[in-house]
Amino acid sequence: MRLLANLALQNLGRRKARSLLLIAAVAIGSGVVFTGATLMRSIDDSMAAGFSRLGADMMVVPEGALTNITAALLTVEPTDLVLDADVLAKARIASVGRAAPQKIARVEHSGIGSHHDLVDLVGFEPAHDFTIQPWLREKLNREFRAGDVILGAGRDVPLGSQMLIFGKPHVVYGKLGRTGVGTHERGVFMSFETLEALAGAVPQHGSSRPAALAPGKVTGFLVELAPGATALQARFAILSAVKGAKVVTGDSSLSGIRQGLSALLQGILALMVLMFASMAVMVSVLFSAIITERRPELGLLKAIGARWPQIVGMMVVEAVIATGVGGVLGVTLGVLVMRLYERSLVYYLENIGVPFVWLDLPRMAAFAAAAIVLAAAIGALGAFYPAWRASRRDAYDLVRGEG
Amino acid sequence: MLVCRQVSKSYRTERGVVTAVAGIDLDVPAGRFAAVIGRSGSGKSTLMAMIGGLSRPSAGSVEVDGTDVWHLSDNALAAFRNEKVGYVFQFASLLPTLRLIDNVALPAMLGRRQGASGTYARAAALLERMGLGGYLDAYPAEISAGEQRRAAIARALINDPALLLADEPTSDLDEQTEIEIMDVLRTVNREVGTTLVLVTHNLALAEQAQQIVHIANGAIVA
Ligand SMILES: Nc1ncnc2c1ncn2[C@@H]1O[C@H](COP(=O)(O)OP(=O)(O)O)[C@@H](O)[C@H]1O
Ligand SMILES: [Mg+2]
Repeated sequence: MRLLANLALQNLGRRKARSLLLIAAVAIGSGVVFTGATLMRSIDDSMAAGFSRLGADMMVVPEGALTNITAALLTVEPTDLVLDADVLAKARIASVGRAAPQKIARVEHSGIGSHHDLVDLVGFEPAHDFTIQPWLREKLNREFRAGDVILGAGRDVPLGSQMLIFGKPHVVYGKLGRTGVGTHERGVFMSFETLEALAGAVPQHGSSRPAALAPGKVTGFLVELAPGATALQARFAILSAVKGAKVVTGDSSLSGIRQGLSALLQGILALMVLMFASMAVMVSVLFSAIITERRPELGLLKAIGARWPQIVGMMVVEAVIATGVGGVLGVTLGVLVMRLYERSLVYYLENIGVPFVWLDLPRMAAFAAAAIVLAAAIGALGAFYPAWRASRRDAYDLVRGEG
Repeated sequence: MLVCRQVSKSYRTERGVVTAVAGIDLDVPAGRFAAVIGRSGSGKSTLMAMIGGLSRPSAGSVEVDGTDVWHLSDNALAAFRNEKVGYVFQFASLLPTLRLIDNVALPAMLGRRQGASGTYARAAALLERMGLGGYLDAYPAEISAGEQRRAAIARALINDPALLLADEPTSDLDEQTEIEIMDVLRTVNREVGTTLVLVTHNLALAEQAQQIVHIANGAIVA
């Protein structure tokens, strides 16, 4: 009813200072929660992307193979030494979570780049790979398939264009982001199937054809530890199960950072829950007091025939307006604060090796809406119970200020 | 029209049970003007509240226009207060954040029996009749106590109640204003035929009533 809604609105205006304090408190609460949730999700997503892009925990290669360890990822250097593609699978090692086999052939006169360029042709299994596809920065809008190649960031060929490799046509399916690792940036990546199909076309130059091109052979495996497993456990298990292999581990400080950040985010989550809980308590205490103060008016409304839903509705509308406005204000404030500190935050995170990417807009909008709705809901709940109790009292008791 | 049978009310307080009204029998025929008199604390307001559907009796029954008031459901009781009874309180009872016209229209809007435009026209006419035609858009704080009381009477009349209950409506007003307000109430009683039950400590006023109910210690004295 318009008059009751009007009353609710007017009532807020009667105690301006108190209404403003309530709105401010809710704004701070919902602002912190919105900002916390958005940052947390963004950092979490960035971290998930960042760490999966960081590649593997360790690498299994033939003894004598060269390897390249950088902060960002482990890479296998091309070599003529190979392992059987199924050695790890057969060994069934519990401490190994995921294993991505790779075939690498360094070739000359491939038709890519200038004549004498050495090109690394890297074969991977799309289904098992976790070190190449996460780096995809742009790709065609379809599934990756046989005959497709993915280019390292160092090669500038448009997506979808045709690329001849040893005279065979391939389609440029995607491009990787910068990794800072030369072999990776110059690499041409394709499925095992595509790489093996090239075997016949690769000319033999005195030496034999790269061994990795043979079906069933791989240059090495990139390994991610099973949850809870240590690198030492995995190393022992692999070395005892796979003859002629060596295990190379990456930089262990990164997993430490990851665990630290996770703990921090969980702390923020706990803080957010507490924040909302205390906001709910505060709003209901405040509205109990407001309703006590307004008993004579509520009694009067009841005396002239207001039904209890009308009385409760009026109080709830008043609360929802206050907390809803607080929620909107809080979200606005949150957006401003995030804008303000964006630079230093991004700088800090990238410094510790986590590339920062903001949450996408639809999800951020969903968080904003959720924060506002939650704030309004807290208002509705906080006002409902005391209003409902008051509305059940005898009108006369209320009018006299009792009840 | 109004029938009370052994209606009682006791309050549980820290000092024990206080009996405010102790078994009152009362009959007021339709259209009559009845005055309730008695000393302060004798239970007059409590009786009025029980008649008007504002305070549930501890025992006994109240019947208005054939309806057993305290056996109504919550919603029906709200409708009873809204439609059957006009209540004028002892104190200022307008909502301070609403204009006079809104205050007067409010009971009709709560019941929502007729459209808003009709209601507001009626509210304006009532205020006019109370001599407040120039204050439709004023807020209660902007007019005098006597004018506020007249607006409260207009509000009590907006739904054409069968029963008008006025609990010492003039106790805090000056004599001249008191006479004006009494005139208004008695005019409504005489011209519209609304049954009027008036609590007053002014014996001269009470003597103009067709029926005098004298209460002491929560009971009727002859
Ligand atoms: N809510 C209450 N709690 C306790 N005692 C009450 C309450 N309301 C009224 N009383 C007591 O009941 C008696 C009658 O009060 P009331 O009906 O207001 O008298 P009157 O209107 O005649 O002055 C008084 O003694 C008063 O103190
Ligand atoms: Mg009294």
